[in-house]
Amino acid sequence: MAERVFITGVGMISAIGNNVQENLRHLREQKSGLGYTRHIDTIHKNVLPVGEVTADTPTLATMAGVQDTPGYTRTSLLGLVAIQEALQSAGIKDARELPTAFINASTVGGMCDTEKVYFDILDPNKEGDFLKYIDTLDCADCTQRIADAVGIDEYVTTISTACSSSANALMYGARLIQQGLVQRAICGGTEALTRFTMNGFNSLKNIDKQFCRPFDQQRNGLNLGEGAAYLVLESESLVKERKVQVLAELSGWCNTNEAFHPTAPSPEGDGAYEAMKNALKMSGRSIADVQYVNVHGTATLNNDISEGIALERLFGTQVPKFSSTKPFTGHTLAAAGAIEAIFAVLAIREALIFPNLHFSQKMEELNITPETQLLENHPVNNVISNSFGFGGNNASLVISKYEG
Amino acid sequence: MKGKYYIQASAAISPQESFSGHFVPQLPTLADKNLLRIKEPDYSVFIPPNSLRRMSRVLKMGLVAALQCLRNGGVSMPGAIITGTGKGSLQDTERFLKNITEYAETALNPTPFIQSTYNSVNGLIALQQKYMQYNNTFVHRGFSFEHALLDSMMQLNEGNTDVVLAGAFEEISDEHFYIKGRIGYWKEVLTQPAELLTSGTPGTIAGEGSAFFLLSNQPGNDSQACIEGIKMLYKPTEEKLHTALEVFLKQHNLEPADIDLLITGQNGDTNHDHYYHNLVVQYFPATHSLPFKTLCGEYDTASAFALWIATRVIKEQGLKKVLIYNHFYGDQHTFLLLSNDH
Repeated sequence: MAERVFITGVGMISAIGNNVQENLRHLREQKSGLGYTRHIDTIHKNVLPVGEVTADTPTLATMAGVQDTPGYTRTSLLGLVAIQEALQSAGIKDARELPTAFINASTVGGMCDTEKVYFDILDPNKEGDFLKYIDTLDCADCTQRIADAVGIDEYVTTISTACSSSANALMYGARLIQQGLVQRAICGGTEALTRFTMNGFNSLKNIDKQFCRPFDQQRNGLNLGEGAAYLVLESESLVKERKVQVLAELSGWCNTNEAFHPTAPSPEGDGAYEAMKNALKMSGRSIADVQYVNVHGTATLNNDISEGIALERLFGTQVPKFSSTKPFTGHTLAAAGAIEAIFAVLAIREALIFPNLHFSQKMEELNITPETQLLENHPVNNVISNSFGFGGNNASLVISKYEG
Repeated sequence: MKGKYYIQASAAISPQESFSGHFVPQLPTLADKNLLRIKEPDYSVFIPPNSLRRMSRVLKMGLVAALQCLRNGGVSMPGAIITGTGKGSLQDTERFLKNITEYAETALNPTPFIQSTYNSVNGLIALQQKYMQYNNTFVHRGFSFEHALLDSMMQLNEGNTDVVLAGAFEEISDEHFYIKGRIGYWKEVLTQPAELLTSGTPGTIAGEGSAFFLLSNQPGNDSQACIEGIKMLYKPTEEKLHTALEVFLKQHNLEPADIDLLITGQNGDTNHDHYYHNLVVQYFPATHSLPFKTLCGEYDTASAFALWIATRVIKEQGLKKVLIYNHFYGDQHTFLLLSNDH
């Protein structure tokens, strides 16, 4: 019997706050973080809404305590701010105390900074400080910067499966623990907004010029966001030994592929259905045990049909409360799975269900509608958290109340 | 991680004649750049012309090595597909960056953006095979392929499946070659592979390639080799590296002298070759060694080509124990132990 895996620490930064408490407060206040970019130089800056972290990059460096060390990209700094909170929240003063895994997720690495200097880098006549950003072009740079800053070296790696990246990072860390390779894994992802990604999604005609409206008949695409989130996962035996507070259990997970289309989900939601069904099966819970589904809910035309149909297939007429929190944070791509996993932990601990903002009209393809009210004192024992991505990569997590 | 993971089939596209099936290691001759390119197979045998036209270079080499590996193993539906790539599709990333500037962010073709996504090769393999199960992509320099292997081994341990497709792919573009040259990745003077290891200068020669493997927890009739263990070390001191090697061998009840062949990632870079040199002097002074990067050049997932070579020599030369030791620019170090168990 594999060891149970517990969540003992959480840390995050997003458009609705620089830490978990600020995020929770803004979720409660139903205050969206969507707006227009102040940090990206793009013709879309007053047209396409984004969920941008308020702090500029030098401020983030100060928050992360590395203001005197150059070379950190915004991606690394967002990650560093989030991981420091996660470690503190788990009562870990020094990550070096135990062999630890750091499983990070990224979709475009340090593109946020390299895209600004890329053509200088290509120009043989130009020399300068920008050359030190060359190595930040890939996804490993941010991971290693973060690992080095907090002192993790046992397993250090990065996953990139588009929008499901950090959900897969959580699964991978949990499996390293179950296989006995480490007792502690810090998993999540970091994503900074870039001109590259904004133009990428815009070229796919996937971005709504209005604030995104998940599961709404009139929805017209997603809004991108940025942020970072990490969860500290520990084995049951380590938790007992440390006598540390458990925030929740990561009780089930599943990763499936859809083999339907490079960027679109199948209309019947096959991948989403399989991922949710199998994650729930692994958790040992039944459909009646699920009080809340934090849906992927990007508000693209395709995702919400496919995910909604998958929910109806799995739960029949008993679909639990569900909502997309992307109208708060924007779609944070590689960070989304981890940000939303923390929202699941908060739902359980605070007995809350978060509203799906910007909803007004039921989708004609579905019989279900998302929760639009903030529900307080609503007991939540099990949450399914979905992350679905390009390449047909689907990931579902089950996060459960810790019962001792 | 320790266990028995049998390599049932493999396929590699590399700067060598590795894909055609008549592999005899050859030291290539470079014309004007310190860069080794793959020998491109006839992709049209595998991919219909309409799809082929749209696909960029690394997608073709990744997909075709994967398909050939499945063919070689007579498997159409592996239980998991797990890949590693340090840089993904450089060609598409570069193209999209240029398009953004050139067309001032308007009316952009989304294809390069889609293909620049690191898991696009993995998605293509799944799409081609109508495959619907576990799928993952690691993107961490010299730990990309290594974690694809570790993930595969865990999938087999977990009993989710009995056969996994694991692989890696990497390309070098002219543009990326230039960029990395600006921060000393490559040798400044044209250096032939035959002189690489004795050049006595910093940097190395760039390379590229794609290799895939079918791994199983059961020995099969055609098993090529057996992976017995993997140990990764991130930015270790030499002392820590040596201790880790001792522990790793001991876990497998082996002495250094039991290793029949040491395959090393030595690449003639005076900044980082001391790790190989000192390890060999201390533990393997008399062991036959094969530095593989003279055959394929340096890239994030070159270790996948080392594993492919290992499967060949184990079978052809009847070796019992082979150890691969590779690192990527001194940061990501890996020991991979193989045997002829089958």
